[in-house]
Amino acid sequence: MATKSKANTAAPNTFEQLLDYGKNNGYKLDWLQQRETFGKELDAPTDGGGLLLQDIDSGPFAEVPEWTNNVTGRPRGALTRPSAARIGKYGIRTKADVWLKNGAQLYEEAVQRQWSSATDIPWNELEELPDEIEQAECQLATFLTEVEFVAGDVPGRWISETSPDYYEPRMFLISQIMDEARHADVFRKRALANGGGLLQQNSSAALAGASIDSARDFTEMSARLHISGEGLVLSIFRMGERMAYNNAEKAIYRLAASDESRHVAFGVMHLQYVSQTDPERSEEIHSYLDEIELGLVAGTGGQNPAVRGTPSNAAIMTLLGGGTDEASLREGEQIAGAVRQRQVKEYIQRIKVAGFGDRFTNGRAAAGLTEYISA
Amino acid sequence: MAQAKKAKAAEPTEKFDYEGNPLPDLPDLSWMGNTFQWGTKALPERYGGGLTLAGINIGIYGDIPEHIPHRNRLPRGAVPVVSAGNIGGYYIQDKYEQWAESSPYLYEEGISRRWSTATDIPWETGRGLSDDVEVAIAQVATELSNWGSVETEVVSAWLQNLSPGYHEVKYFLSTAVYDSARIEEGYRKRALLNGAGMMLESPGRMNRACLESYGSWSNTVLFMWILRGSLMQAIVRYLSVYGPTEADRELAFRILPDIMRKSAYACDHIRFAISKKPELTTVFSAGLTVAEFSQLSDFNDSVLWEALAIIFGDGVENMDQGMETVLELQQYFLETYIDKCNQANLGRETQIRSGAWAGILMGVPITGHATPDEMRAQVAAIMQKNSGKK
Repeated sequence: MATKSKANTAAPNTFEQLLDYGKNNGYKLDWLQQRETFGKELDAPTDGGGLLLQDIDSGPFAEVPEWTNNVTGRPRGALTRPSAARIGKYGIRTKADVWLKNGAQLYEEAVQRQWSSATDIPWNELEELPDEIEQAECQLATFLTEVEFVAGDVPGRWISETSPDYYEPRMFLISQIMDEARHADVFRKRALANGGGLLQQNSSAALAGASIDSARDFTEMSARLHISGEGLVLSIFRMGERMAYNNAEKAIYRLAASDESRHVAFGVMHLQYVSQTDPERSEEIHSYLDEIELGLVAGTGGQNPAVRGTPSNAAIMTLLGGGTDEASLREGEQIAGAVRQRQVKEYIQRIKVAGFGDRFTNGRAAAGLTEYISA
Repeated sequence: MAQAKKAKAAEPTEKFDYEGNPLPDLPDLSWMGNTFQWGTKALPERYGGGLTLAGINIGIYGDIPEHIPHRNRLPRGAVPVVSAGNIGGYYIQDKYEQWAESSPYLYEEGISRRWSTATDIPWETGRGLSDDVEVAIAQVATELSNWGSVETEVVSAWLQNLSPGYHEVKYFLSTAVYDSARIEEGYRKRALLNGAGMMLESPGRMNRACLESYGSWSNTVLFMWILRGSLMQAIVRYLSVYGPTEADRELAFRILPDIMRKSAYACDHIRFAISKKPELTTVFSAGLTVAEFSQLSDFNDSVLWEALAIIFGDGVENMDQGMETVLELQQYFLETYIDKCNQANLGRETQIRSGAWAGILMGVPITGHATPDEMRAQVAAIMQKNSGKK
């Protein structure tokens, strides 16, 4: 292994002499230079958390530009080549359009919390269930395996739209793609592991995709997907203890909720960054939230399995009530109502944290939200 | 059974569906029994492998159709609903365009081999290099980080077009893009570890070929994971052995299996595509001919090779020795590439051994230091020497 002392004892004993030596021997070495941070070693990690993305950047590598002309795809802080082609088709070249304060932290958190649907779920603890319960489990699993494709494929599109100067949010979105594949996978496994099967596609799931899919702005997409869509599903996952009939299902909901909470956090923190750095967009963001709340109250958009009149809602009622007889369904309906109430409360809290809470005091928020809260 | 604890909250008494239509007092359960196959009971593997993606491909759920007619997110085997309609994307609806039999296994393998650059690399061992070697490893790290970044852009952009009906492929690609991100950030961490930082960006012709391979997903796979992938495999493999510090060797050693899974999918997919549509052999070969020129163009840029020569030679003063290892690496790349093409049932051996690359296999590296005439003269000298030996 080369050591620092070697360079000092070898014939060409300074960096410049080394360069001259190499050039005299037919090499170009025009790239071999010490940048301004040379020699500034990163602190060795001592707390067991390892060398984290948020700890590595310094000097020019830590400078996240407010606007970037990096269209060659070079890593942030890398030196440019005049001959490099403009291969990056980056629609997002403004920091506020995609940034959040803790993107690197959320990425590292995701890496640490990866899990396996094959081996981390105690599948052998699945038990034979009454047919109506198994059907409800499978209908909900069919719904969830379908909508998880939305949450994986849509962020994928935005990664290639984002300049690598903003690589931290890109890294997080990649971890989300991984998470969502695992969610789609685990719910499919659940549907096929206990004597059931897949049931019917959600009639409005594609509509949900259409609204999230069609967003032409990252912040709009993120608000629809991360805060609304995933926020609603997170509330459902958090009810997993009540909906689950065995330890395998409990583990699925618990692990999926852990992932989903990161995705929601991304959306909230990005929206918060927008509210703090780009106040001119406030009215525009409120208009997105108007639409989102319409969906939250009326149940449009198909993102929410707890919305009335859908197979997934009936499935949730069946699971929560413990059966399909009238008494059980009514009991399930009551609990499902509490789930809806919780969804709304959590949504309101997230919007407040994101910096748009004024809509709940100035009369802008959808009136139906208060019905849920006060019910 | 779930405990039906009475909730305090109650929904508004009037009930409507999401379109505003009045709902019956109790929920519609007509969806019950609406399935193509009931009674499915996939079992975990017997020896600790868990419940795998391949393991649930039983009954009709294991039937992989040649074509998916729906352009929405219908899970394969679920009962379609007409009102779901079509949504944007998902136009790659044929099996031959994306399938690989190995994809469910590679997905589970990718998950089971999860690791972290933060905690699984002994970064504290990555210190103490001479200045020239430190800058050289930072240059190589910048190049590899750049390649990883391009891979993430390419794969993630394709996901929206690949039909969810072949979910095994989509899931595998999710692990692949995640692995590529780890290359990006792992080598960024390495470049910044001792302050050398991100160096010169990639010359980028091959990056461009990967990004602009929009004609088909198969072309992308060929360019990125068979052609470029063979080079990445060669560099990372050599770094896993000749890396200047334990941290460098461990990082490369960890990344190598990630690269190999993508390579396995690529070979498997191309072979499958050709088995279904033999005429694709011509299309793929034509595409590779163009992509190989891009790769060759990058080879003629000296930066990467000089950096590797400094690393392998342990300093600028030993670059000549380092260049001998660079030649071995380039030969390994070409042999690997030929092998992968053969494995994919796409013979490229004749073209490689007789074309612009042939000099490398005969002992003349392409590193951007010699003119084409000089390289031809070197090749001729080697041929003359060899014929004299005979």
